[in-house]
Amino acid sequence: MTQAVTTQHHEPVENTSTGLNSRKLLMWAFLGSDVMFFGAFIATYLVYRGKSLVGPYPDEILNIPVTSVSTFVLLMSSLAMVLGLHYVKEGNRGKATLWILMVVVLGAVFMGFQFVEFREFAHEGLTPRTNIFGTTFFILTGIHGAHVTIGVIWMAFLAYSSHTGKLRPDNALDLEIAGLYWHFVDIVWIVIFTVIYLISATDGAPAGVERVIHG
Amino acid sequence: MANLWQKFTKYDGNGWWNLPHSASNDPNPPHENPIGGSWLSNIIRTVTHGGVSHAGPGFYWLVGLFLAIITLLEVWLFGVEGLGGWYIPILLGLSALKFVGVVAFFMHLRFDHRMFTYVFASSMIVGILIFSILLFLLEFGHQPPN
Repeated sequence: MTQAVTTQHHEPVENTSTGLNSRKLLMWAFLGSDVMFFGAFIATYLVYRGKSLVGPYPDEILNIPVTSVSTFVLLMSSLAMVLGLHYVKEGNRGKATLWILMVVVLGAVFMGFQFVEFREFAHEGLTPRTNIFGTTFFILTGIHGAHVTIGVIWMAFLAYSSHTGKLRPDNALDLEIAGLYWHFVDIVWIVIFTVIYLISATDGAPAGVERVIHG
Repeated sequence: MANLWQKFTKYDGNGWWNLPHSASNDPNPPHENPIGGSWLSNIIRTVTHGGVSHAGPGFYWLVGLFLAIITLLEVWLFGVEGLGGWYIPILLGLSALKFVGVVAFFMHLRFDHRMFTYVFASSMIVGILIFSILLFLLEFGHQPPN
């Protein structure tokens, strides 16, 4: 059981053994475990990078300009998230709801980009079963997409709470914890965009393997 | 112009760098870290923990702009030829900058209690170790004996 008291700076001090809010500490611990989770999948992608024996290969299929736009969208959703939290703490319900809704919209747009990308890849002949690139790519980006989906649903509930006045400065921690999750999803994508897209986009068939033209 | 800048970057009459100490910092003695009071610990403390409360919207917009510019730079570098062996280290460096920007400012780690930094940083270290060991084992573990 924890209790919160307010100091002269209006910051709550939790009556726990650490002096910290247990839910927030739990979220940080969860994010720490998720770092290892994603780290394992990114390492697996890198281990099998350039080892697909059949195409399509990354240089035939990855679309950097389109993914750059979706990356920008996700980055801006993080900005919207932090502004939403700021206005909740300030007690400005209208602006808070607007920015949290913006997070939902931008997150949904990112998911839309990913859906279109996956459909395009399937159309080009790349599925999780096509080659080792497809397997490692779809598992990594798919799990990230699942995280984004959970985040969007969570944010939609919080946007509704803000709209109805249930999300107030005194329980802004609910949004702060959700925000930590959302920003984490963003930083994972920062790494994925660099490693999977920008660094691997020129990978073709391995030496000694004949490239088959798809179409 | 100077007033406009002050209004944009400051919140509630305080500079974002000089906002009052968060109450949750109180149980944490000053200079408490594994390295002590060395110049390195000062750098770590400056980067990871400001001991100040959260910033204003203007500052967050600046961080957002910074992240957007780095993303643009990354995409531009993708089209630049002749970087050779520098391409991957530069991209990883820019990616790390964005990572730190989001974690430190959007996730408020820069302004929050040091314990959260320790929890996340220790997980990052273990995560990077797992990452490196996995890469090493899977890359060299299947080599047939000579």
